[in-house]
Amino acid sequence: MPDFKEEIRKRLAALNLSATRENEIVEELSQHLEDQYEQAFRGAATEEEAYQAVLRDLNENDLLAPELKRIERRVPKNPVVVMGTERKTNMLGDLWQDLRYGLRMLVSNPGFTIVAVIALALGIGANSAIFSVVNTVLLKPLPYKDPDALVMVWEEATHLGFPFNTPSPANFIDWREQNTVFEGMAAMAQKSFNLTGAGEPERFDGRRVSADLFSLLGVEPVLGRSFWLEEDQPGARVVILSYGVWQRRFGADPTVIGRALNLNGESYTVIGVMPGSVDLPSIDHWHDQLWVPIAFTSEDAASRGNHYLEVIARLKPGITRKQAQAEMSTIAARLEKQYPAENTRIGATVQSLHEKVVGNIKPALLVLLGAVGFVLLIACANVANLLLARAAVRQKEIALRLALGASRSRLTRQFLAESVLLAAMGGACGLALSFVALNILKTFIPASISQAQAISMDGKVLIFTALVSLVTGLIFGLAPATQASNFNLNDTLKEGGRDSSASSRGNRIRNLLVISEVAVSFLLLIGAGLLINSFLHLLKLDPGYRADHLLTMKVVLSETKYPDKERRAPFFRELIRRVQNLPGVQSVAVASNLPLTYNGDSMPIGIEGRADPPPDQMPDVILRVVSPGYFSTMGIPLVQGRDFTEQDKPDAVRVAVISEKTARHFWPGESPIGKRFKPGLVTGDSPWREVVGVVKDVRQNDFVAEPKMQMYMAHEQVGSFAPNAVVVRTSVDPLSLGTAVRKTVWEIDKDQPVSDIRSMEEIVSEAVARQRFSMVLLGVFATLALVLAAVGIYGVMSYSVGQRTHEIGIRMALGAQRSDVLKMAVGQGLKLVLIGVAIGVVSAVVLTRVMASLLFGVSATDPVTFIAISLVLIGVALLASYIPALRAARIDPMVALRYQ
Amino acid sequence: MASAILDRELKKGSAELLILSLVEDRPRHGYEIAQLIDLRSHGTLHFNVASLYPLLYRLEKRGWIRGRWVEKAGQRRRRYYRLTSAGKRTLAAQRDGWREFVEAISRITGIQHA
Repeated sequence: MPDFKEEIRKRLAALNLSATRENEIVEELSQHLEDQYEQAFRGAATEEEAYQAVLRDLNENDLLAPELKRIERRVPKNPVVVMGTERKTNMLGDLWQDLRYGLRMLVSNPGFTIVAVIALALGIGANSAIFSVVNTVLLKPLPYKDPDALVMVWEEATHLGFPFNTPSPANFIDWREQNTVFEGMAAMAQKSFNLTGAGEPERFDGRRVSADLFSLLGVEPVLGRSFWLEEDQPGARVVILSYGVWQRRFGADPTVIGRALNLNGESYTVIGVMPGSVDLPSIDHWHDQLWVPIAFTSEDAASRGNHYLEVIARLKPGITRKQAQAEMSTIAARLEKQYPAENTRIGATVQSLHEKVVGNIKPALLVLLGAVGFVLLIACANVANLLLARAAVRQKEIALRLALGASRSRLTRQFLAESVLLAAMGGACGLALSFVALNILKTFIPASISQAQAISMDGKVLIFTALVSLVTGLIFGLAPATQASNFNLNDTLKEGGRDSSASSRGNRIRNLLVISEVAVSFLLLIGAGLLINSFLHLLKLDPGYRADHLLTMKVVLSETKYPDKERRAPFFRELIRRVQNLPGVQSVAVASNLPLTYNGDSMPIGIEGRADPPPDQMPDVILRVVSPGYFSTMGIPLVQGRDFTEQDKPDAVRVAVISEKTARHFWPGESPIGKRFKPGLVTGDSPWREVVGVVKDVRQNDFVAEPKMQMYMAHEQVGSFAPNAVVVRTSVDPLSLGTAVRKTVWEIDKDQPVSDIRSMEEIVSEAVARQRFSMVLLGVFATLALVLAAVGIYGVMSYSVGQRTHEIGIRMALGAQRSDVLKMAVGQGLKLVLIGVAIGVVSAVVLTRVMASLLFGVSATDPVTFIAISLVLIGVALLASYIPALRAARIDPMVALRYQ
Repeated sequence: MASAILDRELKKGSAELLILSLVEDRPRHGYEIAQLIDLRSHGTLHFNVASLYPLLYRLEKRGWIRGRWVEKAGQRRRRYYRLTSAGKRTLAAQRDGWREFVEAISRITGIQHA
């Protein structure tokens, strides 16, 4: 039988059908023709006649091709385009394929993958950890109802150095009555409470608060009830416990409600327990353990000159803080006219509660957040470098895939999928890392930061980490991906993948990455350098005393048992005598407050023989009431005159010791010894005090700020400021004597609590905790950045030396010495580093300004820091490029020339 | 004997109807369809490869018939076409249309049904 298939194929040729379809048609039609042929043959035609008849039928009108052409879909000429267009419809499938392919690539290059994942984990982990802190401390709303409407209201006495001064009760009451902008206004006042009569005596930080404080905050007690308004009266003896005290001291016993507690010698009834989230802002390091009603006496309520309240208010709905501020200023101006003696130049300031709670740590946290962002950028640059180097190795693969019809956008997508996958792995490891880091972080985050212990990772942190990882992957994946898609297929295939224009473009990107890495790590190092420098300045500050070998503790005597100085004096005399005899004790003294533990107790003074200045020009002088031997015990040098002695008794001449600054201010150019002054106005009725000594200035309130004027009085001559603190100079480790001193207190009176047993060094260290926190963290991040940058420089230099092996071989064959090669390779690295440092210097000058509030004693452009950091960075960079350079110099020219 | 042109035009108009009718009862392959048209029209209508298959493919593309390769014992595999449900609806409509057309022609030309 004749073969009709060829005949049909000839007629279909012009149609460009797909192979499958063409075969199908050929088979079907040839069968038909064969059937026709057989039939004709059976009808007694000869073979030739039958064949001709079938062909005639096939050719009739020459219809086959034109008819089919109208029906059949043809395959486009360029197969590449078809793949591209068809594929676009299947993004998800492609993504899945890309991810699987990416995973295979990563698994097959474990060294590369591990290095990249570690770099990313460090960067992402640092970000998650710091974000967790920022999230908890800055972003989480305070645990009160509608916290944005809560504000603090302060007296503004900037001319005295107190822009946020604690208001006096009379001013508070006027504010509360006259304002129309607040839903409510509540006052708080610190008060310490001695619990006696049930086990060990204990001292509690407590606060007297307006009865409506908790309803103002929108906090419900976990047990019992809040205060009733009628309990805000003198004589109401009810107390609300903090969650911590309830747990620790009362074993979370629910029957504590209704129980009577002996506080400061009076019986109080427990009416409620507040939840643990209640952490009200306070001046000093005060952590509320219990609350009682503030219950102003009529005398309190009339007091306008005693500034000791903290005031919280809630804005009415729709009232902004600005509007509230405007009205409060008006009210303050009215009060100033009404009470010029006390209120001259006293304004009112409205501050958001959130700002008060987070204000002092906010700049540090934002700088840290910026710093970890930079660390991540460096990590990105490093990984991008690694990917670029690998992309160069994979040029053949890319070229092949392009030649086989892969589209460039498709390749780009695949590169991005690989890098995002890498970033996801880095993110997962980073998350684990930040979990560990956070626990370490918690141990040295300043305790004064609200919610420091509540810091944890939550859903927001997870989302943040995921987003950071994704963005990271896109950022560092972009460089190799664009390079892959820009690359010249023909060149690569022709030139064996080496020294092509694509790889020189790759070198350019790599160099840019190194330069930016250096610049960014320079920024971080400068930041860290400035903070370290500030901290060193802080530590070098002369506090005015010697903090070493000092044991401190609080002994707050019960006011009922020791209501006046006559009854306190024997107790303290006896305590000093007994402690003095303990082994290891050099000297001991008591004082109303030790430096850095309390900000209050300051007052204006009137000088004998001079008229009182106008009220707004009367400077405050800090008062500390101390026992004889206080100055020698603290190590405060006596500049002039004498210390207090046992002879400074209540009936003797009333004496005072003042600080140098006080002496300079009131008696400039003359000796203050023998001069007399009195607390308050000259016309006031307190007795004159004679200056008997001058001591060095002490940083009383604030370790960082310049010392304010101070005066000291003998504790047996002052009625109203009782000693609260005991300080012991020891010849041994101060804390080792803590128990012995406490025992001594209890031997004298077993009902007096002893608390806050600390060394003076601890107190100082706490005072600079915020600075240390930011310094240590930024230092860690800068070190991380330095290491990452060094690794990056090393990687690029190794790669570039590796690429130039052939060239180096030629140079050496032509007579170049090893030292020349070394110089060339190191010089190349050095050039990049110098450019990076130059860019870093310029951006640091601009960017370190945001740190100004964190710095102390150094300017944001401190030249010493800048020079030192530049040298460190250049040194590290030199080392990082020296090692590959050395390898290059050791190349055997013969090997290098053969190297392909 | 109709002229060649008339033959082609007639065929074009009626071919779809013819093919759909032939695969209405059971699936048939191309050669069988061509044979049946020859046979039943007593040779008046004749489809060859070049005219039949493009037509089949077009009907298939429109979704009126569907071809499937079927292997039967002792035979070569062949492509059988069967009527789809869309094809059934088309067939019914075309039959009605054809009937009306023929009746209209008859009324005008006076040709009576046998």
